[in-house]
Amino acid sequence: MWWLAGIGGLALVAILAAAIIPGSHTTAAKQPFSTLAVAPHSSSANQLRSRLSSVYGSAIPASKYGTRISRQENGIGPNGQIASDLDPLPPNSFDRPVAGYIHYALGVSGQLGTAVSALTVQLQAGDRARAERAWNVAFTDYLHLGAVYGLLPGKLNDRLAQIPTHLNQTQFTGLHRVEKGLWQGAPLRSLVPVSQAITAAIPSLKRTLPKTEIDPIDYAARAHEILEDAQRDLMSGNQVAWSGQGVLGTAAGITATREVVRTLAPLMQGRDNTLVEVDNWLVRLQATFKTIRRPDGSYPTLDQLTIAQRERINGSLAGALTALEEIPGTVETVGLPNIPTIAGQEHSK
Amino acid sequence: MSPVDRRGFLKGSLTALGGAGAGAAAGLAGADRAHAAPMADLATAARDVNARELTQSLPFDGFHQSGIVTPKPAQATVVALDSVAPTRTALIEGLQAISAEARQLTQGVSVGVAEIDDPPPDSGILGAYNAPDSLSVTIGYGASLFDGRYGLASKRPPHLTEMPSFALDELDPTRTGGDVILQICAGQRDTVVHTVRELMRAVAGKLVIRWMLDGFQTAVRDRDPKANTRNLFAFRDGTANPDVTNAAKMDELIWVRAAAGEPAWTSGGSYMVVRTIRQHVEFWDRVGMLEQEQMIGRYRVNGAPLGGTYEHEDPRFDLDPKGDRIPLDAHIRLANPRKPQTEHQRILRRGYNYDRGVDEAGNLDQGLLFMAFNKNPHKQFAVIQRRLETEPMTDYILPVGGGYFFVPPGARGSGDWVGSGLAD
Repeated sequence: MWWLAGIGGLALVAILAAAIIPGSHTTAAKQPFSTLAVAPHSSSANQLRSRLSSVYGSAIPASKYGTRISRQENGIGPNGQIASDLDPLPPNSFDRPVAGYIHYALGVSGQLGTAVSALTVQLQAGDRARAERAWNVAFTDYLHLGAVYGLLPGKLNDRLAQIPTHLNQTQFTGLHRVEKGLWQGAPLRSLVPVSQAITAAIPSLKRTLPKTEIDPIDYAARAHEILEDAQRDLMSGNQVAWSGQGVLGTAAGITATREVVRTLAPLMQGRDNTLVEVDNWLVRLQATFKTIRRPDGSYPTLDQLTIAQRERINGSLAGALTALEEIPGTVETVGLPNIPTIAGQEHSK
Repeated sequence: MSPVDRRGFLKGSLTALGGAGAGAAAGLAGADRAHAAPMADLATAARDVNARELTQSLPFDGFHQSGIVTPKPAQATVVALDSVAPTRTALIEGLQAISAEARQLTQGVSVGVAEIDDPPPDSGILGAYNAPDSLSVTIGYGASLFDGRYGLASKRPPHLTEMPSFALDELDPTRTGGDVILQICAGQRDTVVHTVRELMRAVAGKLVIRWMLDGFQTAVRDRDPKANTRNLFAFRDGTANPDVTNAAKMDELIWVRAAAGEPAWTSGGSYMVVRTIRQHVEFWDRVGMLEQEQMIGRYRVNGAPLGGTYEHEDPRFDLDPKGDRIPLDAHIRLANPRKPQTEHQRILRRGYNYDRGVDEAGNLDQGLLFMAFNKNPHKQFAVIQRRLETEPMTDYILPVGGGYFFVPPGARGSGDWVGSGLAD
């Protein structure tokens, strides 16, 4: 809760200032809510300067650290605008988390390859119920890719799971084309080439993944975007129009989200309480899905959900998203930009 | 109509009450005023403000229709109609009925009494007197009306087409298009609801509803009387609109003029763009404040351009060519680059917020009922829209419906109807 931290910070500064600065009591009494009046933001006599050159865990020079941090804790940026209370992380601190995620995604792509091959076998064997179950597994593995979804080249994405622009479309490729045929009663053998084409795209996926670059800010935002998209596109049924497997797909999104959080956890240590909040909510979210999962491991389709089940899913998703949305701010890599003023730009012209 | 100054009035100036509004309001507000004299409590004051505002009316007839450059009241509904009239004569009867009914309702009318064993001529939900309440019914026609059905193809206004599906649109056919569009605006929700209901009675069997959407303005909550109301991303909306009191500007950007080579019957009309734009508000609320402001290019709290101090300040893009202050892909920069060569593209926005409940996934279904007027949608609105396809805000919005319509000049009096020129 950044605002709690902000209020706490303000109160602390006010109390300290009142105790330390001579004569501040009278000012404070007149303006009880004004920290500006009692605690100047910058001090020309920085005591740290002579003894320290660097501050552990920070990229800010020691000579500027005290001033910068005290201003930040007051929520004031270099130009007087609202600022973050955390010192930005160096962007290269994301190298390890992103590499860790790519490693995970490579493993997932291997599982996806296996699952799609199994799907092809079931389509050839002509058993629709088994083929549908095999599709569920393949779709789950595809969604386990999570954070790289959307970063892959468009053509590769389409080969894996193109989203048709309307429901009557027949000329499209990937898992949703198989889905349409499976649940609409198309001859199973007619779907074999579609499934085989997905298998043929797996090597390209494996080659592309190590070259995929994820911007630090984007990667941090993926932590909530995966489930945000799952809620909008899967729990609504929009992208699982034929199978109705929105709960299954959202469950897969939780797995991918956990992997993003796992890789980012070292960066979040000691920065607000975000990691604890996120972990608590993800545990609760997983528990919700566990109560809905059937003994055979399948999930109800969207229209099989009871009102109570749907409300529990919506509620725990909303709660988890509220925790996850704090991650980008917790692991930010840039200080706030020094936004010039119109007057300043006019002056310098 | 002069805009009512709520705050000034609430400060205690009661003398105005007997003035402008008294004539039409006599039957309506008389009882209230009789015992409201001490005016101690705000509730009573608010009710009298309502009573006064209910008496405000906008003209129905005139060179231009109301509801374009007139002030924007708090409530609106847009109704798109399709014609099921079997003949051209029946269609024209339906269109005439809309104008006749709208003329009465916008000017205020006592509810008539019929035979006791007949259904009453008015639904009566506003009581014994249908107060005008700044009601406007702005009537427009879609390109589909000019297809082969009624022999109107030769009358199609030259710039009227179906609205194209832009790059990021996911238009739902059941929320898009229509032969006729009605933009109904008024101060109170019940006035709008009543108007829709009476208009539908008037066109029964001839025109049917294809889609409709309710809109509202956020209340005036700022000290600055010129402050624009907020959209549901919480930013001020409409700040950069051209000045509606500048007649030359309106002629340049909004009004169709026969002198400029347009068909004579369209002179005084305008082209209307309607876009139903879903706003993913939960997603937006998960975005950092700084990022929100950089997407828009304005401060959220007061609407000032970034680096500026007040809403209507010129953002001075000329001083900021690299986007150090306002990012180059910020909404306000792409929408209106404020360059001489883009000046002729400006449009008059007149949007409302909408709130249509909850979607299948449990998210709030809220957004912007975007409405705008311009002289030529292909050279103005569409050019701006295509420029906005690269703005980061596109991740948080989804256009799902709307349409292009031609809004004819106003009717010339009680014998005339809006669009009569197309039947000549």
